[in-house]
Amino acid sequence: MLVAWRYRERRSLVQWFDPRAWFIFYASFLASTLLFWDMRFLAFFALIALLVLLTSGVSWREMRRPLLFIFAFITFFAFLTFLTGRGGIEVYRQEHLIRKVVFPFSLFGWQPTIQITWERTFFALSQFLRVFSLACMTIVIPYTINPAHYGITFRGLGLPDKIAYAIDLTMRFIPTFGRDFQLTLDAQRARGYELEKIRGGLIAQVRKMAPLIVPVTIHAILASEDIIDAMDLRAFGVGPRVWLETLQYRLRDKLLIGFSALLFLVCLTLSFLSFGKFWVPPIF
Amino acid sequence: MAQPLVWVNDLTFRYRERPEPALREISFEAQAGELLLIAGASGCGKTTLIRCLNGLIPRSYKGELQGEILLDGKSIANLPLARISQMVGTVLQDPERQILGTRVRNEVAFGLENLALPREEIIQRIDEALTYLGIHHLRDRETFNLSGGEKQKVALAGVLAMRPKILLLDEPLASLDPASAQETLRIVRQMVDEGLCVLMVEHRVEDVLKIHPDRVLLMEGGQIRYLGDVEGLYQVVNYREIKLPASEVLKRARHDPAPPLLQVLPSVQADTKTSEQAPLVRFEQVCFGYETKPNVLQDVNFEIRRGDVIAVLGANGAGKTTLVKHAIGLLKPTSGRVLINGVDTRHLSVAEIARTLGYVFQSPSHMLFAPTVYDELAFGPRNLEHPKDQIEKEVMEALEIVNLSGREKDPPLSLSFGQQKRVSIAAVLAMRSRILIMDEPTAGQDYQNYMDFMDAIIQLPNIEAILFITHDIDLAIIYANRVALMSEGRLVADGKPQDVLKDLERLRDWRLVPTSLLQLNLEMLPTSGKFLRAEALAHLPSLKS
Repeated sequence: MLVAWRYRERRSLVQWFDPRAWFIFYASFLASTLLFWDMRFLAFFALIALLVLLTSGVSWREMRRPLLFIFAFITFFAFLTFLTGRGGIEVYRQEHLIRKVVFPFSLFGWQPTIQITWERTFFALSQFLRVFSLACMTIVIPYTINPAHYGITFRGLGLPDKIAYAIDLTMRFIPTFGRDFQLTLDAQRARGYELEKIRGGLIAQVRKMAPLIVPVTIHAILASEDIIDAMDLRAFGVGPRVWLETLQYRLRDKLLIGFSALLFLVCLTLSFLSFGKFWVPPIF
Repeated sequence: MAQPLVWVNDLTFRYRERPEPALREISFEAQAGELLLIAGASGCGKTTLIRCLNGLIPRSYKGELQGEILLDGKSIANLPLARISQMVGTVLQDPERQILGTRVRNEVAFGLENLALPREEIIQRIDEALTYLGIHHLRDRETFNLSGGEKQKVALAGVLAMRPKILLLDEPLASLDPASAQETLRIVRQMVDEGLCVLMVEHRVEDVLKIHPDRVLLMEGGQIRYLGDVEGLYQVVNYREIKLPASEVLKRARHDPAPPLLQVLPSVQADTKTSEQAPLVRFEQVCFGYETKPNVLQDVNFEIRRGDVIAVLGANGAGKTTLVKHAIGLLKPTSGRVLINGVDTRHLSVAEIARTLGYVFQSPSHMLFAPTVYDELAFGPRNLEHPKDQIEKEVMEALEIVNLSGREKDPPLSLSFGQQKRVSIAAVLAMRSRILIMDEPTAGQDYQNYMDFMDAIIQLPNIEAILFITHDIDLAIIYANRVALMSEGRLVADGKPQDVLKDLERLRDWRLVPTSLLQLNLEMLPTSGKFLRAEALAHLPSLKS
């Protein structure tokens, strides 16, 4: 199956808290991490993220595939940054060379050269830590937050009924659309369509995806008509609704919310005072 | 007589974007404790009528509405949907799209939450509705992973929890296997006996007749063609347009000319050496499973030979689709092997297998994408890298076979459902596959349409074997020369229809429900020698005399 919710109750740090408190912490963590480029600060966030991942109660077997995929993805882009220095210009002005690698061949008269500098190396490492922290915090969510609780969680966080229920509905229909996509993929493969063979530029590639995109989109539109009918027929949106699920803050949740607020305020102050900017060890 | 629960007077409706009315001058009434069956061909206005009764018309679907509808004595013209939804409950055709909650209890609670009832009452009503339908054990299950029959009951529970007096069911049997359909019908009868007024739209008229509807409303072209008891329906309706009990067809077909004989797989009939040739597809000890569900297929040995028309029967989840996906190479066995023309599917890509074996999926909307019918049909041959001039010939021939010549420039998505289904078959025929495999070929079509469609498929030139998955035993009786029966991942029977389907008790064990046509055929087998459609049985020489 392409998409299926992996949620279940488990011995998990995330599940020890109320989902509203956890989302507040998650938002605070995200915002705080993005304030810094200093590896020493980012290492602190990466440690928290790693701790959350290791105490999530999700087994290695369950999350092996998505985790390895994300890890490979982040590593690839961090390496690309390291090779090109892309994006770093905004946080450092001058570079200190460690080594210059000149390849012993030339392509159309251009000789590939890589400048390995302290700044590029540390920028790539910082970028890796930043994205790694965010990814670890995000990946545990579908495994640990009950899909039936998304609506009431966001309602509890102050969103209106309709938007909160829309989030619930999204969670409900992601597996259905995943299955529709798989069916379409199978139907087109049975007509000799091979996704692996798609070549060409971006626009050409998107055009060649039409046999998948068009049926899935049409199905989604038709389905949404039925979904809207089903909601109308059961009096959705006529007034304020009651939610069957209820959530109760406990002391630990209040403490987590307090900690989240404190974390963000401290980070904001530090950032305001110019702490946590890009850092390279003073070795030169 | 008590005041009717449903009272419709002179109802006419035209959708805003269409020139012609979808309903014309409809008048009828229905009482508490009455089951009214609403029948008619696709596009006759059944669904529009349901939408008028539940208030979606004119609130969600705009147009010109004339006439009057009273529910429980009140005109619904000025009532809000929230109020109507407490009088009328509607179960839509596809429960998958009607179920909005991730868990069963959340789904059943949805309407009650919207009405802002107190939480304690919501919980009490959830338990009540689930217990009534005998599915309380599903209360905390995820809705996505339920079976088709369970989803249907959960959708029904969500509606019943709102305690309506009137229930509208729009083709509730469409996606169910025979045993689940029978269970749904039993529940409907029980609800009617307890005083609910049920209006049920259904193509499977013969099945609904088993629970004795009080009256039948037959629609045609947006109008009422017949309204009255079941006996009267037999007098007005043609047995070719609506599926009637086999005994009824037998009685009436005697007076009509005999049905024409079908030329089954004409390309094979011309060839006499059929049985000596190697099988086209061969399953050897095939097992398949997922991490979470290890025994989806168990030790399946199976062959498709030239000249076979195989019906694969079995309950939902028996492994029918998994079996077929192995033949086309979309799935590979965990042990054992599948051979196509003697080559293991592990060494073939799906595209290579598609040259031999064409697979038509259940719903055409899962595959149609191209701007024109021509491009849609050329898609497969282009993928298989056929030469350009050959592709044109293949497309034109395929269009001719499915009777859609001249429509090559039309956008496939603008065609009717039946035409889309034919385009999806033509798209496979254009690839020049020799074996045609179809998943529920009759789904979503009305009786006359799907019988015509199957008559045409069975006589296709250039096809050497056909295999179709179906829930409809009658389809197997009429069209197949071989029946393969799956149960819990095993192939439990494989042989001639008259051999596989003769033991009714065993069929029930495999969650199949014997039909009136099957029973009639078993009675007449000594004379007929093989299974036939009811119209053909009526013309057996012994009966004629």
